[in-house]
Amino acid sequence: MTGTANDSEFRKQLDDLSLAQQRAVGARFVHSVKDLTDDARIDVAIKVAQDSEANNDEIHSAFKSARSAVLDCYTRCGADADWATQASYFVARAASDVVMPEKEISNNNPAWQAAMHSRMARTCAVIDTDTTEEQQETEQQHRILDHFLND
Amino acid sequence: MSEATLERGIKALKEQIDAPVASFFSSCVHCGMCAEACLFYTETGNPKYTPISKVEPMRRLWEQEFTLIGRIKKLLGLSKKITDEELSEWQELVYNSCSMCGRCTMVCPVGNDITYMIRKFREGMSAAGHAPEGLIGATTRAIQIGSPMGVKFPALKAQAGHVEKEVGFEIPFDKVGAEYMLLMSSMEIMNYPEYLGAVARIFHQAGKSWTISSEAFEATNSGIQIGTSDLARELVNRIVEAAEKLKVKTVISPECGHAYTAIRWEGPNLVGHPFSFRVRHILEVLDEFRKDGLLRTEGFEEDKMTFHDPCQLVRRGGVIEQPRNLLNMVAKNFVEMDDHGKMNWCCGAGGGVSANEDAHELKLTAFKRKKAQLDELHVDTLVTACANCRIQLEEGLEVNDMDIPVVGLTEMLAEHLVETDSKQG
Repeated sequence: MTGTANDSEFRKQLDDLSLAQQRAVGARFVHSVKDLTDDARIDVAIKVAQDSEANNDEIHSAFKSARSAVLDCYTRCGADADWATQASYFVARAASDVVMPEKEISNNNPAWQAAMHSRMARTCAVIDTDTTEEQQETEQQHRILDHFLND
Repeated sequence: MSEATLERGIKALKEQIDAPVASFFSSCVHCGMCAEACLFYTETGNPKYTPISKVEPMRRLWEQEFTLIGRIKKLLGLSKKITDEELSEWQELVYNSCSMCGRCTMVCPVGNDITYMIRKFREGMSAAGHAPEGLIGATTRAIQIGSPMGVKFPALKAQAGHVEKEVGFEIPFDKVGAEYMLLMSSMEIMNYPEYLGAVARIFHQAGKSWTISSEAFEATNSGIQIGTSDLARELVNRIVEAAEKLKVKTVISPECGHAYTAIRWEGPNLVGHPFSFRVRHILEVLDEFRKDGLLRTEGFEEDKMTFHDPCQLVRRGGVIEQPRNLLNMVAKNFVEMDDHGKMNWCCGAGGGVSANEDAHELKLTAFKRKKAQLDELHVDTLVTACANCRIQLEEGLEVNDMDIPVVGLTEMLAEHLVETDSKQG
């Protein structure tokens, strides 16, 4: 099988997955940016999202924890932007995406949302530098999906 | 604090006592109705949070300088001088415990605009060196960097890049002749970039041309919040210059309450002339699209939901019907809070309160009023149209263990757009 070539293809492949698969591959995207946070609640979300037998209570509990993590690291209105903390914020948002209860998901694909928030996290981490890490994260996500589909 | 600084502050404060302020002081009947309208008073029960008493040093100055009895008392040494210590003590009352929501103004039986008085008092406090550190920092960054949170244009471009991948088309920057110029708040750029995606999708569907200026993308005006008109004017001027350079017809204020007041209502007065363009809040623009048949949605939210009115939109701006018109397009089970629209209760974090770290506990205490309103309704979802309200609501709900998602109205509408070929990865 040839690798995912671009985001258009990437998104379509994510849309074709079941919700459980979207959670599972989304968790891998979050894991890929986990170096940007030391919050243990993110690990819990990743674990639950990858567990195909997780029940609704476990998903809801992991979601609440991930949402708490989001609120612990958002940037206050008027506060000086700390991009490292903001990277943690987007990691937490990505983590909450993959354990979002089904009724709150609406039209969004949790894996795609997690991919976008993970990229934003990487962007925040390198925002003041001239690097290509952000593009590397996109390519890494494409590889993660390829591996997931081939597992 | 030097004597010179205190003197400058008192001089600045005296200059702020204009005819409206003087008439408000002379007509106050000390009824206390403003106390019951202020969530900082109702949720703490502390009389020091009575709105009119928050401007007490300014009242004394007015009496001593501009009334016959006050002048005589001053000559006889019977009046109490305003001291640096007193102004320092008042900082909490003027900045931390007033979100400038304007609810006190609505209930005053003699029509005193207490919010206006607080705004004036902040000018004196700022000149006297008694503005809070958080707001000083935000204002300094706004002047030096262009954003109170230090968000530079490359950061916006980076976020826009992600949004472009999400929506499948380019975010237009610096397009001369576009009909609309979109302003953003740093809160949206940093915490809610999905707002930009929602706007992009709606404008794409409506077929309207729009742009963002690389030179003036920031909507928030911390000069207004801290109470320094010179700086507020400088920030408004940047937007005016960018809008004129790009020859746009309408400048759009984002989902941010005070930014709307700053640019639309205070803006022309600050720069001293009418704008050559219209200023509208994003919800006003979307409601215009609705009326013109340019906003096409499909499907309905089944959840029971309510709308938190941002104070600056409803009380200072009259944007009351527009969000309800828009909600009716996508929500089947929309309910109102008891006090809504122009009498809505503030979230507790506006007017610069959220920028002051030492106001954190108090603003969450003030949130209890909103909690009580939500407890009555048992809603599944809370919708709002201000990024600052949104984060305060999310935090307040979390602290109170209330499991209610908070969503932005613009994003909710975008989720219901009739699908076009635009949504490609």
